[in-house]
Amino acid sequence: MERNLNRFKFINNKLLGRKKPIIERELSSEEEMDVISDTSDYQTETIADRNEVLKDCLPLLEDPDLESKLNRDFLKMYLTAAFSLQLPSQMTALDASQPWILYWVANSLYMLDAAWLTDDHKKRLKEKIFVISPDGGPFAGGIGQLPHVAATYAAINTLTLCDNIDNSWDLVNRDAILNWLLSIKQKNGGFKTSFTVGENDTRGVYCALSIASLLNIITPELTENVLEYLIACQNFEGGFGGCPQEDEAHGGYTFCAVAALAILGKLDSINIPKLIEWCATKQYNEEKGFCGRSNKLVDGCYSFWVGGTIAILEAYGYGDYIFDHDSLREYILRCCQDDKMPGLRDKPGKRPDFYHTNYVLSGLAITEYKFDILDKTNATSIIVKKRDNIGYSELNPVNPIYGIPIDVASKIYDHFR
Amino acid sequence: MMSEFDVSLYSDIEPLPIETGLDNELCQIMYTDEYKQVIGIARRLISNGEFSERALDLTSCVIDLSPAFYTIWNYRFNIVTALMAVSGDIEAFLNKELDWLDEVTLNNPKNYQIWSYRQALLEVHPNASLKRELPVLEMMIDEDTKNYHVWSYRKWCVQKFNDFTNEFQFADSLIEKDIYNNSAWTHRMFVLKNLTSNKNEDNWNEQLKKETIDFEIEYAKQKITLCPQNVSSWNYLRGILDKYFDEDYTINGIDEFAIQYIDNIFEKNESELTETNSTNLPQLKSSYALQFVADGYSRIPDKKNMAIKAYKSLSIKYDPIRRGLWNHMISKLSA
Repeated sequence: MERNLNRFKFINNKLLGRKKPIIERELSSEEEMDVISDTSDYQTETIADRNEVLKDCLPLLEDPDLESKLNRDFLKMYLTAAFSLQLPSQMTALDASQPWILYWVANSLYMLDAAWLTDDHKKRLKEKIFVISPDGGPFAGGIGQLPHVAATYAAINTLTLCDNIDNSWDLVNRDAILNWLLSIKQKNGGFKTSFTVGENDTRGVYCALSIASLLNIITPELTENVLEYLIACQNFEGGFGGCPQEDEAHGGYTFCAVAALAILGKLDSINIPKLIEWCATKQYNEEKGFCGRSNKLVDGCYSFWVGGTIAILEAYGYGDYIFDHDSLREYILRCCQDDKMPGLRDKPGKRPDFYHTNYVLSGLAITEYKFDILDKTNATSIIVKKRDNIGYSELNPVNPIYGIPIDVASKIYDHFR
Repeated sequence: MMSEFDVSLYSDIEPLPIETGLDNELCQIMYTDEYKQVIGIARRLISNGEFSERALDLTSCVIDLSPAFYTIWNYRFNIVTALMAVSGDIEAFLNKELDWLDEVTLNNPKNYQIWSYRQALLEVHPNASLKRELPVLEMMIDEDTKNYHVWSYRKWCVQKFNDFTNEFQFADSLIEKDIYNNSAWTHRMFVLKNLTSNKNEDNWNEQLKKETIDFEIEYAKQKITLCPQNVSSWNYLRGILDKYFDEDYTINGIDEFAIQYIDNIFEKNESELTETNSTNLPQLKSSYALQFVADGYSRIPDKKNMAIKAYKSLSIKYDPIRRGLWNHMISKLSA
């Protein structure tokens, strides 16, 4: 760490001519040398990229003037602006993911304060979801588009957040959604994202099972071979890849597989110790946040993809020792927010966006609670207790399996039973 | 811009609206006029069920503007399968389509839809070949050596054509370029598992399997020697020992190999392995070596104390962010 800091100071002073003086402080003896000797003659792209990130993160992590506190009001401003202004044309890139935008913003608001997602928001959210897919599902990314499993996932999560406003839950066409899910189901147990051409990976499985379990439309036909598919996605490192072919272990796909296994009630079918170790080794000693794959860069969104996976394991009784909660909070609160630009981000130097805001915030919420489950056959029956001796950002707890607040998830689950 | 939008081709087409018309709509995107026109025409052609050359051209324009628009990829696939049937030369028609796709691929490295579309094309191609696929994949990896989609698609291809000839060498070339590239290490494991699987029994006798596995262990050790603090090479080594040697991390003295990177940690007494005295512990070359020895020894009854010492030193000094995990391992061993 010392070497990296020195490197940073050199770059700042000599190369960038930085005006603000670098804060010097006495290093504790612990920090006087790296505990692991660097093989400095072995510089590759991976090391160079990581050094760039360290150069940005370490000063923020060490800055005594910076407070590790969520700027709730600044975030509220960002999110309510998203719900009161039109989105600029650059966001056309998300034209086929419109329910996702609604979910990310609504979920973030609700986590911060349930009352900040107002009845007016809920009515307009519901209205937009049903104007995109007037038949009540399966849902598309925008009007005139084909149904898509991830769009349907985001739409159902958004409607869940709307808390059955105007009895909107009964407008959901559960039969049509089940029939369509069966049409995208593949022989190998996977699900394609859309019919007929679409990706077949653990995202499809997770979205399908999340939707079907909330709407109570899980059938034996729907889950046939799914378990075998998911088991085959766990690779030699312990995490899960996208496809059952020794794909690289990846935080996003690991979350999808583990959440899907939890919904199936089959977490005991995989190698849990390897999974735990893989999740744990995604947290860096220096940056303190999670990366998504071995030797890749830290990214705030994995606070949820990996942190959420860990919370699921904790809820199902596999232990609460898997990651360092305080350290992850330091990364989130010091490196993922900025006092000039509202919203949360991947890492310093990146612009905030709705995706990162939602998943960084969800990850932060996970650090503040202990997870348990009342009934392992009902994934919405997760319960939480506030953790002791850790900061508190007044966030509503998230059900890590569904990525939505615990109360609304269990409410829609009960509604359809 | 690869595909110029020529509006005169579609003068008979009344675009459908792409805006919801809702008052007070949440998160409404401010589309450009060009986008509204192009997508509006596409919507009309889709609803008319038109499968024509001009429809194909239009999908190229849409994909230029909005590559993640999955509906258009589906529509394009339907157009292509309709047109190839009447083209007189399916293979030539699909090769042209693949050429177009190569260019789109190189311009959109992070896109998801391209790869499933490519798979769908290869499934209908009468004479698809791995050779046709490799150059674009290598260019993509050259640009971004850890591109998840490309590595995953490459695995799919290699299995589809059951041709692993280039794969060890390919993984090796990427590991040579960047020894920390975990995607390349994972690919190597994919190749090893496939070549040594029972499916492959015809070509690979037991002797060849054994020699290959031994070679891979040496390969991992050699890369660890070059660069001991690398999670990828250690995970590869552990993966091999887990699968082929029943998680025995002491086979052929491999524990001795790891111990050279952890100084004389085992000679420390308990009072030296405490939080307060941790500053006196030496600098190590690899925390992964320490974990390797700890995990290996934790499975051997008379080496449990050594495993505990190793976990302890990880916890207090060499890998403190995971102290929860290491302390958990210690309490399991002490129980």
